[in-house]
Parts: sequence; structure tokens; C-alpha cells
Amino acid sequence: MDLNEIKTAVIQMDEKSTEKLVIEALEEKYNPLDILNNGLIPGMKAVGELFTRKEYFVPEILLASDAFYRGFNLLTPYLKKASYRKKDKVLICVVQGDIHDIGKNIVKVMIESAGFQVIDLGRDVPIDEIIKAVKTAKPQILALSSLMTTTMLQMGEIINRLEKENLRKNIKIIIGGAPLNQEFARKIKADGYGEDAAGAVDLIEKLIRE
Amino acid sequence: MIGADHCARLMGLNLSDVCRSGERLAGVLEYGYNYYNYDMVLVFSDPYVEAEAMGCSIVYSPSPIIIGPCPDAGEILDKNREWNFPEDSALNVMIEAARILKRRLKVPIFFSIKGPFSLSSFLYGIEDFLKLIKTAPEKAARFIHKTNNLLLKYIEKVLSLNINIFIGDPMASTSVISPDDFKRFALPPLRVLTGFIKEKDAMLGLHICGNTKPIIKLLDYLGVDILSLEDITPKTRTLRMGGVSTRTIFNDSSEQIKAEVERALKKPPLILSTGCDVPQDTKPENVKSLIKAFYEIGGCK
Repeated sequence: MDLNEIKTAVIQMDEKSTEKLVIEALEEKYNPLDILNNGLIPGMKAVGELFTRKEYFVPEILLASDAFYRGFNLLTPYLKKASYRKKDKVLICVVQGDIHDIGKNIVKVMIESAGFQVIDLGRDVPIDEIIKAVKTAKPQILALSSLMTTTMLQMGEIINRLEKENLRKNIKIIIGGAPLNQEFARKIKADGYGEDAAGAVDLIEKLIRE
Repeated sequence: MIGADHCARLMGLNLSDVCRSGERLAGVLEYGYNYYNYDMVLVFSDPYVEAEAMGCSIVYSPSPIIIGPCPDAGEILDKNREWNFPEDSALNVMIEAARILKRRLKVPIFFSIKGPFSLSSFLYGIEDFLKLIKTAPEKAARFIHKTNNLLLKYIEKVLSLNINIFIGDPMASTSVISPDDFKRFALPPLRVLTGFIKEKDAMLGLHICGNTKPIIKLLDYLGVDILSLEDITPKTRTLRMGGVSTRTIFNDSSEQIKAEVERALKKPPLILSTGCDVPQDTKPENVKSLIKAFYEIGGCK
């Protein structure tokens, strides 16, 4: 089999075929890391490009993500054994009081499929929990999401807490969500604002290079 | 566009308390109208009022957030049942508020109603519904049809008050679904609602959030009276409403708001407004800046 078939299955949002093809590839003794790097990741990368070009939309991304994770989860045990080395660590969550997580989940799959290690704290996450996770996981990037004007103000509080606890200088903070803009990011001293999921990976890579 | 959430905040009240009584809801909307002195009143409490009435799980945090689909959604679809809004629901509060405002105010009153695509996604579960339109399109279309029948019954009741309708269909935005899916799933039920409302001689506004450029012609020829859009740059035969970004009014300064008003007023005819409803915690001085800039630049009063 050709690993391109896995890429195509992800692009075609075909969860069942992705699963079947990843199992076939494992049975054919393909290196799990190759299956990931030459099958699943290029598939999701292509999906991201289609999203940027406005050929794919939210439903397509949701279905392609399902296909990606169906394959990815099959590989996870092998990748651990193969001491799979990922890029930098990204901690992602939706702030407290907000449970809208479709956007966060889309950004997560884009980041994960770009090879970053993603720690997803989920949605409606209290500030204390975020601070604790920053202390223990020591991520390079903290990605905060909020869809509500009532909860977005917490992002500033999180940054203030990180400053107070001397954690700010070691981490880059990016924010995203419908009510936010660049001006808000500047006001709360975030390092970057992502207008949509497609730009999140570029933004993270740019910040890490700096 | 200012709804009860922002007006309640102006008065230091909780939206969840306000939405329990038609008198209270009318009171906060009237307060907002008098406070800012705008030219039309929108009877709008929150985006999930219809979904909540149909049994979707909602939490107030402090704004309402939908956390679960309508428990009947599967059965309605599989057993081919029709559904109805329950007799005793928050929708009656909205209708009562509209009745009071119609009696008290001399400006046009618009009644906010969720669009069929958005309400379908709330009732079915947003992520699941967005997937359904791709994996089982016929099923999704059938579900929307049932939602639309439900909305028609509701709209008939609202129109008996002799007021106008404003449909908000945020999930139908081409920031969310493709223009093809808009054409297939969102447009046909909107056409049905538009025909029904225009037959009754009420004014009809339509709001769709986010990017609407790829579908602007379809919206323009839908037959509504007002198109409320985030992006008012495309020329339309339908009267546009908007001009100031919701993000700007919430996040930015008076100068930036004034600059957007100035740009917007160069594209008449236009109902000057925010591109979407004013967020509840928006600084009142920012809303005042918008109105002040309009009078200064537009010189209408």
C-alpha cells in the first residue's frame, strides 16, 4: 500500500477508510512514525490548506479531524514505544465560563497535526488550573480561546497571574475567538492573536522562531 | 443592534432574571432605547431562547450557553413527528414584551427569531448537525424542514402583534458552512419564511454573521427589507444595516469607532449599526460614541 492513500482518506474525511488503511499499514510493517508523518499529517495539512483557500469549511474540518484522530489513536501506543519526539509543547484551553470549544478543537487538531505536542485542558477551565498546568507541563505556547465577551476578559487576568508568578517570560501566549481582535491582544499583552484556525500553526511557528 | 443582555447590564440586572417576565424584559429594552436614543427596538433576549423553549440544556454563565441538544431531536427525525413549542415557555415572555413595547414606543419594533439552519443546529447539537449535513444530507434537510414548520407556527403568533421580524441565522454564515451548503440547506427554508412574512406585510430583517460575501447575491434577492451584515462593502439593492464591527465597539476606542462610522456613512443607503448585536459588557460610552459620531458626521438630527 501507499501511505498517500491515508492522506487521501483524511482529505476525503473518510473515517472508516482511514482506520482501515492505518491498520493495513501497521500489518504491512510500516514504521508507525512514517504512517503519521507521511500519511495522516500531510492529510490534515492539506485539509488546513483547503480551509485557508475557503474550499473546506467547519463541517469538513470536523469530519477530517475525526478521520485524523481515528488513525492517530491507533498509532499512539506504537509512537510511545518508538520514543516519538514531537516539536514544542502547546497548552490549549477555553477559559472559564465558556464551553464553546469547536474552534479550540479545530485549532488543536491543526497544531497537533503539525507535529506539536498538545496538552488540551478542555473547556471552562479555571485560572488556577491553567497556572498549575503551565507550572507542571512547562509549555512553550499557551493558546487561550473564548467565544464570549463575558469570558474573554479572563485572558488578561491569566496573563497578569503568569507575570505575578514569574512564569510569563518563558511562555508565548496566543489568543483566539470570535469577539477578540488584535487590539484586544495588544491591550492584555498577549503575544499573538489568531483570526482563524488556519493561521494558528503559522503564528505558533513564528513565535517559537523569535 | 442592542438586545436585552446589554440593556440589563446597563441597569445592573441579571439577564436570567429579566427573561422571566414580559414586563421586565420590555422594561430593560425600553431603558436601553431611552438611554441611547436609537431608532428601532429589537425584542431580543439571547440567541438560545427558542432552543431553550424546546428543551435544550442552557446554563447562564452569566450569559446563556447551550450545553445540550433537544432531547426529542432524534425521535422527531426518526419517527417523522412534527413538533411544537410548549405552551408555557420563555417565548411567551418575549411575545408579552413585544406587546408592551408596541404599545409604549413609537419607533419600529422588530422581533428577533432564530433562523432555521441555526435553530436546527442548536436543537440537534451543533457539531453533530454540521457533520450531518455532509454525512446524511437528506436527513439534515428533513430536520431543517421540521424546524422551519415549527418556526412558521411561532412567526404566525408573533405577526398577530402587528410587529416586524428580524431573523438571525448565525450558523448559516459562510464563515461556518460552504456557499454550496448554504444554498442547499439554509437558503430554501429562509425563502419559505420570507415569503410567509412578506405575505403578511410585515417588515423583515435578516442577520447573518461573519463572512457573507460569497452569498451576498442570494441574500440580496431573497426579498427581505433589511440585510444586517458584518461586511457592508458589497453593494446591494436591499437596504444594508451595519457599518461598525462588533469587535471594534467592544474592544476599541471612541476614535476608532468614529473612524468606522465615517467610513460606513460613505456607503449609503445604510442603517448605521454594529455588525452583530452589541456585546453585553460593551462600555456604554462606546455605544454613545457610535451614535454621537453618526450625528456629527451624518448630521441627521
